[in-house]
Amino acid sequence: MKVTLNWLKQYVEFTWSAEELTERLTMLGLEVEGVTQLGGEFAGLVVAQVITRDKHPNADKLSVCRVHDGQCERQIVCGAQNFKAGDKVPLILPGASLPLKPGAPEPFTIKVGKIRGVESHGMLCSHEELGLDPESIGHRREDGLLILREDAQVGQPFAEYLGRSGSDVVYDLEVTPNRPDLNSVIGIAREIAAVTGSPLKTPGTECPIAAEKASALVGIELAAPDLCPRYTARIVRGVKVGPSPNWLRSALEKVGLRSINNVVDVSNFVMLETGQPLHTFDYHLLGGTAFQAADTGTTNRPNIVVRRAAAGEKFVTLDGKEHTLSSEHLLIADAHQAIALAGVMGGQNTEINAATVDVLIESAYFTPTNIRRTSKTLGLRTDASYRFERGADINACEQASRRCAQLILETAGGALVEGVVEAYPESAQVKQISLRHEKSDALLGVSLPAEQQSAMLTSLGLKLVSAEANTRTSVWEIPSWRVDLKREVDLIEEIARLYGVDKIPSTAPRGAVGAHPFDPVYDQFAEVRRILSGLGLNEAQSQTLINDAAAKTATADIVLLANPLSSDMNALRPSLLPGLLATLGHNFTRKCSDVQLFEIGRVFTHQKGQPKEGWRVAIALTGARNPGFWAGAERDAKCDLFDLKGIVEELIEALGLRGVSYAQRAESSALFLESATLALGGKLYLGQLGQLLPALAKHHDLRDAVLLAELDLDQLLARRNATKSFKPLPQFPSSRRDVALLVPETTTHEAVLQVVRQTKPANLDTVELFDVFRGKQVPEGQKSLAYAFTYRAADRTLKDDEVNAAQAKLLQELKNRLAAAVRE
Amino acid sequence: MSLLERIESVKQAALIELRAAQELPSLERAKGSYLGGEGQFTALMKELGSLAKDVRPIAGKAINAVKQELEAAIAEKRAELELRAALPKEPTDFTLPGRRRSLGKLHPLTQVTDDIVKAFRRLGFVVADGPEIEDEYHCFDALNTPADHPARDSQDTFFVDAPGKPLLRTHTSSVQIRVMKSQPPPIRLIVPGRVYRRDNADATHNPTFNQIEGLYVDRNVTVGDLKGTVEAVFKELLGNDVKLRFRPHYFSYTEPSLEIDFTNALVKKLGKDWLEIAGCGMVHPQVFENVGYDPEVWSGWAFGFGIERIAMLRYGITDIRLFYENDVRFLKQF
Repeated sequence: MKVTLNWLKQYVEFTWSAEELTERLTMLGLEVEGVTQLGGEFAGLVVAQVITRDKHPNADKLSVCRVHDGQCERQIVCGAQNFKAGDKVPLILPGASLPLKPGAPEPFTIKVGKIRGVESHGMLCSHEELGLDPESIGHRREDGLLILREDAQVGQPFAEYLGRSGSDVVYDLEVTPNRPDLNSVIGIAREIAAVTGSPLKTPGTECPIAAEKASALVGIELAAPDLCPRYTARIVRGVKVGPSPNWLRSALEKVGLRSINNVVDVSNFVMLETGQPLHTFDYHLLGGTAFQAADTGTTNRPNIVVRRAAAGEKFVTLDGKEHTLSSEHLLIADAHQAIALAGVMGGQNTEINAATVDVLIESAYFTPTNIRRTSKTLGLRTDASYRFERGADINACEQASRRCAQLILETAGGALVEGVVEAYPESAQVKQISLRHEKSDALLGVSLPAEQQSAMLTSLGLKLVSAEANTRTSVWEIPSWRVDLKREVDLIEEIARLYGVDKIPSTAPRGAVGAHPFDPVYDQFAEVRRILSGLGLNEAQSQTLINDAAAKTATADIVLLANPLSSDMNALRPSLLPGLLATLGHNFTRKCSDVQLFEIGRVFTHQKGQPKEGWRVAIALTGARNPGFWAGAERDAKCDLFDLKGIVEELIEALGLRGVSYAQRAESSALFLESATLALGGKLYLGQLGQLLPALAKHHDLRDAVLLAELDLDQLLARRNATKSFKPLPQFPSSRRDVALLVPETTTHEAVLQVVRQTKPANLDTVELFDVFRGKQVPEGQKSLAYAFTYRAADRTLKDDEVNAAQAKLLQELKNRLAAAVRE
Repeated sequence: MSLLERIESVKQAALIELRAAQELPSLERAKGSYLGGEGQFTALMKELGSLAKDVRPIAGKAINAVKQELEAAIAEKRAELELRAALPKEPTDFTLPGRRRSLGKLHPLTQVTDDIVKAFRRLGFVVADGPEIEDEYHCFDALNTPADHPARDSQDTFFVDAPGKPLLRTHTSSVQIRVMKSQPPPIRLIVPGRVYRRDNADATHNPTFNQIEGLYVDRNVTVGDLKGTVEAVFKELLGNDVKLRFRPHYFSYTEPSLEIDFTNALVKKLGKDWLEIAGCGMVHPQVFENVGYDPEVWSGWAFGFGIERIAMLRYGITDIRLFYENDVRFLKQF
């Protein structure tokens, strides 16, 4: 729905700027999809009349003209050929600028100057120079000057001549389907009036009435009242069909409608103004039947029949298209033939034409579902069908028809025949809705006095039927145009709209999500649990309170209870490992010798003399690596350190920690036979892993190797990188170079990797250790480490030469720094 | 014999031989002896050239048809023999146990806690946490628990051997105080966590156990809100047939205070009408004042219950100590 600022101002006063209106309408639920500024253009352009036209003394194709600009005569040099003395043309005065051409950096400004030695005080303009489509403004398209209508007033600002006097703003509004009443200028003005408190000024419909009675001139028969509950007809006699006056043409053109003639334009104007679609017929093209009038005797009177189409009935609409109809389609017919496709489009056979003298104005209400179906099945969508299918105001028929008649008289002359002929067998029911003001408050979260709520509803045209102060309840009569108001909550919505949804204070979400720092940590714990259980470990939860001797195997720094119940539980665990060990022992005594567990829990140590709490994750493995199976070499495999390390590596990788290194401890500890510490970036302690001292294993009756790891969960989660980003899959093949290196026993895998990292071989993608071998062909005190080096470039297939060169350089480096020999 | 008759006779012989093949090599040998360079059928094809022009097309057509027929027979037999070769000598016993990978299980207390947390999070609650080593202020004083309250008896509370007389929290309610002191209302949180009571371990007691605390503070919070939320959560945890009963009780930090009993088919099976499951109540105004909330503006409720108790009821576990022994045969059941 398009509407202009000036048009709105005819019905309601407001002082908002064009921008503010955009904002206000949007906040009322009428989203502004586009704003177009009109006018302000054509400044310095006036209607001028050519007085004389003479040949230019120095140029064959130029003329020297004397033109009158309404104030004085001017001498103008002009190159156009299509004009003569007496023509009225647009004149741009010196100092003024032509409209900016698309793509031009700045507009062309007119100056007084000499053209071939003759002074020119301005310029006569063509439609191209003005950026106008001549046909859209009702002019002939021709080369040369834009020749204006003869009735143009000399000296009139050109913008005024075009009907674009003054500036205006066109708003393109998105009207939601529940609000058909807003498909009208008055409907939108009513919303503005409700917000501003200014009265809504609906136009009067007074006009002179002729003595003749409408009922003598036309009859109406509703053959399908289910599809057309109301039909009205008015007749205006003696019109002169012609071009519309400027105001009317301009009003329609601004909102995108093309001017056709005064009568049709008026019906379109009233539709836009009131939202009620109207149709005008040439009265004399309507077929009649004999009619016995009370005073004038028998006449031939047109009888309008609103009926369903016969199956296969053909009808040609205004646009010249023939439609084949079915009984689903509703027709307006006269005594002999169909004359309009009800609510969608009129027929060619009865349209207003230059010879039309008497006009019949149809103003009716058609059932939305039928119009929608008709429009859809015929592929015919019109401004009328658009409004009817959303639900027109059944009570607006009469008033809109009267307004239409008034404007026809004003623009096309003639006289309105007395009365309206109407078929309206069953009056529409008046809806009533009751509103509990407290309910409104509760739903909106803002307390508004009942009077304020009532004032808002009144301003929208609702009528207060009754109000009960005790229960704070009021009952409202709903105006017929508000087809969307059906129940209490709809009224509350109106209050919210008018009060301003933006003014309702936001309340923090009740118990806001994420309002405690531990909430996401809880989820991270769950993630760690998911990873470790996915790796086959069962979750344990062991006692917080343990024996102080067990606690001391982990650290000397333990927290003791002041009032323990027993010496079994006299200390707070400083580590999860003693508890897990006890758990392993418990399982073993019950003949469960294959146990793989993890635990997430709190541990307690001292910091600066005060107890300190921290979260840890610990892993304990013992016994068979795999669940029992009945064949294969692997079936007897027991867990070893690398089972444990594999789990730790998976966890660390899954959490997104990079740069974790493992440093072997030189000696056994109170807990471990062999162990290593984990560090991040070589410095930050993350935890430890290792194999339990055999003596401690024996103490717990454990026979197989016991592998234990414990990581600082707080650090692990604090240092993780949870961001994941896609790395494109390789497009080009890789080259693999396998090599077995003979190195001294003391050389670690990490040492090899370090040399590789520092050498940075070109295009090296991955390094994989695939064999560690000692024995035959490997000298005593040495070991063979077999690596697969994979080279790959993202943008091409690597050549053998370049891979070989990179590999050779790497091997040389390994030889230099680690005394690594390639085992052939 | 005419050429056509000979073709027919070679075809019959070839088909018999091909179909009799029991393994792939013998099939290939049979194929060679008919269709190979020196094969019988190939020899017939070679004779075509010497035929009279008028009979050559008929013979050619017949020979091609037979060739196709033989090739189809070979292909069919080959597929059959290949399939047979792929099968193991003895059919696999599908009743033998599979090579299992271990699926680790989460501890039943973790599972129950997760379910409770999920139920509350759906209602907009967040998970909070606080220290297990507490002080008297957060554990008792601020919760309106006077110094002479039995809950403060050292018979019930573990104290830590450290300066300042720290203690092990006896309930997760201490976190209420910490959260309310650190953030303004509204608040909607739950606190799962370990608590400590100086009870000797037996089938129903462990000095360490898990509680879940709930706290809801907002404007216009009513007892109805408390009941509605607790009912919704317990229905989700214990099934829709669960019935709850709220009866007046006393906790120093709530007013009114209520105990929640529940019943369902399981309780009936245990021969009881009701089982006590949680304590709750409207947050005492004194507690609000202690943390700086205006009790005229804010109201709220709190509840607490034991997670072990819910897990025991849900799974039919009769000894609380099983949770802390971590017998893998126990853990694998959940």
